[in-house]
Amino acid sequence: MKKQLLSFLILLITATVLYGQGRTVSGTITDEEGAPLPGVTVTIKGTTTGTVTDIDGNYNISVNDGDILVFNFVGFDSQEMAVGSRSVLDVAMSGATELSEVIIVGYGSQRQEDLTGAIKVVSAEKLAEVPTTSFQDALQGNAPGIQVVARDGAPGAGINIRVRGIGSINASNEPLYVIDGLPITSSAADVDATDFDNGGRSANPLSALNPNDIENIVILKDAASTAIYGSRGANGVILITTKTGKKGPAKINFQSSFGFSDFAFNNLLEPLNEAQYRQLYLEGKVAAGDFATQAEAQVLYDSQFPIETRGDTDWLDEMTQTGKTQQYDLSVSGGSDNLTYYISGSYLNQEGTVVNNKFDRYSSRINLSGRVSDKLTISNNLNLSFSNQRGITDGTRWQAPFYLAYLMSPAVPVFDELGRYYGDHASFFMGGNNPVGHLNEDKREREQTRIIDNLSASYEIMDGLTFKSAWSFDLLQVTDYLFANGRYGDGRNVGGSAQEATTGVTNWQGTQTLTYSTTLSNQHNLDVLLGYEAQEVKTRQVDTGYEGFSHPELKLLSVGANPQAETFRSRTAYAFNSYFSRVNYDFEGKYFGSVSLRRDGSSRFGPDSRWGTFWSVGGGWTISNENFMQGVSFIDNLKLRVSYGVTGNANIPNNTTTNEDGNFRWAELWGFTPDYDGEPGAIPLTVGNSSLTWETQENLNVGLDFYGFNNRVNGTVEYFKRISSDLLLEDPLSSTTGFPAVFDNVGDMENSGVEIGISADVISNNDFLLTVGWNQTFITNEITKLDEPIVDGSFRREEGRDFQEFYVYGWAGVDPATGDGLFYTDETKSETTNDKNEAIRFYDGKSATPDHFGSFTLSASYKAFSLTTQFNYQFGNYVRDAPGWVIHGDGRFTPRSTSTWAFENRWTTPGQESIFPRHFWGNRQEWNERHSTRYLFEGDYIRLRTVRLAYDLPTSFISKAKLRSVQISTTFNNFWTWVKDDNLHFDPEQTINGIYNTVTPISKTATFAINIGF
Amino acid sequence: MKHLIKNILAGCLFLIISSCGEDFLDIQPQDSISNSQFLQTLDDFEAAIVGGYSQMSLADWYGRYFLLIPDIMGEDIKANASANRGAAWALFLGAPTTTQNENREFWQEIYQAINLTNSIINSDFTPIASQQAALNQVVGEAYAIRALAHFDLVRLFAQTYSFTADASHIGVPIVTEFDVDSRPTRNTVAEVYAQVIADFQQAITLMTIGGSNTTFTREAAQALLARVYLYMGDYNNAETLATDVINSGNYTLVDSANYADQFLVGDSPEAILEIAMTATDNRGSDHIGGMYKETGYGDYLPAQDLFNLLDSLTDVRGTLFLRDSNLDGGIYAGVDGFGRRVNKWPSAGSAIATDNVSVIRLSEVHLIRAEARMRKGTPDEAGALADLNLIRERSAPSVTFGALAGTALLDEIMLERRRELFAEGHRIFDIARTGSDLIRTDCPAPGSCTRTYPEDRFILAIPQVELDSNPNMVQNASYGS
Repeated sequence: MKKQLLSFLILLITATVLYGQGRTVSGTITDEEGAPLPGVTVTIKGTTTGTVTDIDGNYNISVNDGDILVFNFVGFDSQEMAVGSRSVLDVAMSGATELSEVIIVGYGSQRQEDLTGAIKVVSAEKLAEVPTTSFQDALQGNAPGIQVVARDGAPGAGINIRVRGIGSINASNEPLYVIDGLPITSSAADVDATDFDNGGRSANPLSALNPNDIENIVILKDAASTAIYGSRGANGVILITTKTGKKGPAKINFQSSFGFSDFAFNNLLEPLNEAQYRQLYLEGKVAAGDFATQAEAQVLYDSQFPIETRGDTDWLDEMTQTGKTQQYDLSVSGGSDNLTYYISGSYLNQEGTVVNNKFDRYSSRINLSGRVSDKLTISNNLNLSFSNQRGITDGTRWQAPFYLAYLMSPAVPVFDELGRYYGDHASFFMGGNNPVGHLNEDKREREQTRIIDNLSASYEIMDGLTFKSAWSFDLLQVTDYLFANGRYGDGRNVGGSAQEATTGVTNWQGTQTLTYSTTLSNQHNLDVLLGYEAQEVKTRQVDTGYEGFSHPELKLLSVGANPQAETFRSRTAYAFNSYFSRVNYDFEGKYFGSVSLRRDGSSRFGPDSRWGTFWSVGGGWTISNENFMQGVSFIDNLKLRVSYGVTGNANIPNNTTTNEDGNFRWAELWGFTPDYDGEPGAIPLTVGNSSLTWETQENLNVGLDFYGFNNRVNGTVEYFKRISSDLLLEDPLSSTTGFPAVFDNVGDMENSGVEIGISADVISNNDFLLTVGWNQTFITNEITKLDEPIVDGSFRREEGRDFQEFYVYGWAGVDPATGDGLFYTDETKSETTNDKNEAIRFYDGKSATPDHFGSFTLSASYKAFSLTTQFNYQFGNYVRDAPGWVIHGDGRFTPRSTSTWAFENRWTTPGQESIFPRHFWGNRQEWNERHSTRYLFEGDYIRLRTVRLAYDLPTSFISKAKLRSVQISTTFNNFWTWVKDDNLHFDPEQTINGIYNTVTPISKTATFAINIGF
Repeated sequence: MKHLIKNILAGCLFLIISSCGEDFLDIQPQDSISNSQFLQTLDDFEAAIVGGYSQMSLADWYGRYFLLIPDIMGEDIKANASANRGAAWALFLGAPTTTQNENREFWQEIYQAINLTNSIINSDFTPIASQQAALNQVVGEAYAIRALAHFDLVRLFAQTYSFTADASHIGVPIVTEFDVDSRPTRNTVAEVYAQVIADFQQAITLMTIGGSNTTFTREAAQALLARVYLYMGDYNNAETLATDVINSGNYTLVDSANYADQFLVGDSPEAILEIAMTATDNRGSDHIGGMYKETGYGDYLPAQDLFNLLDSLTDVRGTLFLRDSNLDGGIYAGVDGFGRRVNKWPSAGSAIATDNVSVIRLSEVHLIRAEARMRKGTPDEAGALADLNLIRERSAPSVTFGALAGTALLDEIMLERRRELFAEGHRIFDIARTGSDLIRTDCPAPGSCTRTYPEDRFILAIPQVELDSNPNMVQNASYGS
């Protein structure tokens, strides 16, 4: 171990110190496939004498006959060879040990075992196990402390990630995404000119990246690793490194996959059929007192749903289908002495489980690196992508498929007598919505074009001292197109409407760094980083609409007759300007220390409070390298890490209700959006707060890493505490001031928890490898300072409580005698009432924050076969059915349909125990109060996330076809789910904040793939 | 080692030189202007006052709810079974549910307008002499909007003026200056009315330039002030101001043939102040018309009580309805057995929501004067009848109306207000200010059929957000703490 470290140091200083030795031995070091390995350290065992292989993998070193040479290289097993009498000693290095992996950290790289911070690497292999549109999905279950939630199961939809809980109330909780050094535009909110993305759920700017281009993903969790990102590090940082070429002959890789998908969750609600709906309709009309008898009510029914056109439509069935995915990837990589390359092209086509819902992506990447001279290297990573997405509406809006599926009357047919989509119910039933027609005839599309480029030059000023200048840009253009026809549905009153909105985001960054690495007295290893960075992000939007479309086939804006209400347009920008430094030090690979410092200035804050300083200190102790541990043979490596530091969160959100731009919340402004009678006008827009600043976060991390039993078992246990303070809040004002609130830094919050990750090779021999893994996160959240409680929907944010604890009316079920709904009058739950006005909201110990979550993996490989399985789970949280109060409204919304669950479990006879109260139209009893425990369900689940079976064709077989490798694989995702709550009728995974909102259910997918290497 | 230090220093120097400097971070918004740079020219003031009208045109004020809520709380409009918006008030359910926040919207939008007008009124900008009259007009309009804003708030959130003898009961906070930290108490109703009168009078003095009927003019302020006096029971002043408006000669009643068009087309000779709803600034599906029509939300229906007042064969106002065959049968039958819908705000198709909405029109000024003449110390019955006849004969030219006197005449004037002004946002205010009971014969839900004056729920609840953020705020009776 120690030797390994020492050898590595020698590599770092690239110093060759030769002492007088007997004779010279030389050789070539290659990898398993014979490609030369430059940079391998070659040392004489027991000495500090050594050298490094050159670009062709050659070395020579002076030795004595009795010497033993030690060969060390990152990512390979160390090898020892006795020199004997040989003068040529070639070595093929093999195997990779996890231990000496070099991983990318902010503005540099470090060996895994030198880390003082909490960092998790997710490899490309892990990404391949979950074939999806975006790499984020594949992170689920693969890193402790990370919650990954795909709230929407539609193709190309958004994914939320929480690193170690929720640290902010109003500012973003999403981590910072950095691709090859550039913090990229990652939030759907940054490009949401229309409601295409359903508040960020249904669209994802990161879906532009082809997951197959990613070499690995590094998640930075604690201050030691994130403080270098200063005012943007508080939510954790996700570093994405793309693939690069390696010296050697061209390797061509072709990969193709296709898959099928269907809803993963088996207990989704079912809609009524016509007979059931008719029964409910007639019963409900009589129960409401509108008619004396069902026969009289039948007359109105027959007039609204004429017998000759009456349907028996299963709207859910009509709107859904088996999804299909196909993907083709071709890449070539390789390199010569001075130039390495990785070039790829990819096409993805995904058809969703909802009719006409799809995602297409074309992307290409060219990563080049050229060595101009011994000292100067220039590289450029260029990624182009174009995607086309057809989405749906969610929530409780009238076009939302998973809302209308239950509310639409099954008596409404899909088509009318002319073969058109039926719209004759426009005057009395939900605006004449025809969700099938909407999906087929209307438009809801997004085109996204994205160019990301990272250009850098690094120059080695002298041994160990390197200057690097990196210039990156991310150009993003998003165009949404929405069309609603003029005959039925949302466009019916205006002869059809069309909306087109374009958002352009220009993001550039320049980063200048100096790094210096040295080893003093062969014991003190020092890495110093100094840097300066500037970034500017500009966004412009134009959003315009037209109404009045005369021909049903013509849906473009240009055909519309009447320009619509408002053309929205905006331009905004923000900039960051930063100085940063980091010093990493270690003593003999035993004691580690790191200090980082960043000074950030941001245009998002007022001139008086623009600059802030962020910092961290970290220490590590490799206990296993101490002499007293040498006798403990089953431990290979045992390391204790502690870090503490301060980071920030500068993600001030836009206030969409008041139209305030998050970039200028500090300023007192007049806005110019209003107009009246053709004249432009101005209104006071923001109250302004010149002292507005970022949220700060103190972050403590204590971790213990363990490798043992010849590296067959490894594990990490970490304790963390995140103390967020100066939380950005809308501090309520008296509305008589003309403003509802001032945005201010008030409020503190704490997240603390324990993460455990363990992996063990239970069986490991030449043919058979069986590995089990488990990772587990316990997390608690508490608001530690908040002057006034804030009611936010079903939650109330209150000091001393979990941020996500529900504050709701207590549902006490149905009175068997009367069929009335009952509420508990208060938290004592001792009395019930059928009048909601006599009840109050209270905390019932139900929170959307899980007690714990994690995953369990089991992977096995036997010869050329490999099997990977992963179970994910989450326990102790509650989820809220947001549309429940409408879909299960006890007749409140005349005469909308409902689900079979409600129909079959409604109260009909005195004395009957039932789940649902009696049903009557126009029910205003408010038993369907949305903020009540009636619509809360236990969110506990276990899901078989992945089963992947792969087979590598034998080399003997494929070499005849001049192929390098062929792998065929099949992957099943989400094929089994257990939930605790039998009454849960939506997918438990689809809430990040505990709120389910009629999104597309998550899919189970079966994917078949072939991967051919030439 | 020396070499090393030199290199590091050189590198540091480079980092510093390549810095962008402080102005790199000085990014100003491109679609808004900071307070300190605004209201510096006459143009700025003109833009600001347009913002004030835009505020009035919002769906939560004159765009929709202010013309809806007072009517649905009366007997002439009833909630459809599916009614959602405003139903808490229409059915006197008490505190609104979390989805129904019309009271909050009124409160916030109207106080926003007050803040805007305060910025204009309190500005110390001095124009060049030739612009003084134009600036005065703008400032006068700001006073008028502020007056109307306080008047509308006090009508919505406080009991009517005569609720106590000296109007000393709680009103709404008067705000004439911006103070971010203010947590005001409620002024008395008398204080609010005094402020409203002072502001309207200031407006009348300052506004010297005539305008269109979609912005405030001297006469619009006078007409509204007449209404204020009527609510206060100051009938002499109400009559005087109504007479000033009528005698200005700027307005004439439209004839029967064009009656309906004054709502659809707008800009009629009768309009004194109306809110413009052009193709670009209308409220779309949130327009007042959409609340009544089957093609909109269709939440509210005309009640039998209203049909009983209007003869569709002789009275042009009886034709402002549309048949809706889906309202056939059951208890929804209209006068002829068919369901009807209010069609006073009829714009449809690609011109949806483009009908201007009335704030005040000449016929109301006549009815104000008629009522004032009857109620004043020495009633002027002949004058009152003349005003009444102008209105009812215009709408029903074929009918010969007999003479009326005394209480019968006053009652008829009050009934005429219902006929003439339904769906324009007056009814519950008229019920309350005349101390009447609400009696619905066509009642949408039990519990809302009869409400006896004084009635706590003739006014709205103070919004919860205000109570939460302002410890000095007091909730209205019967709406909880």
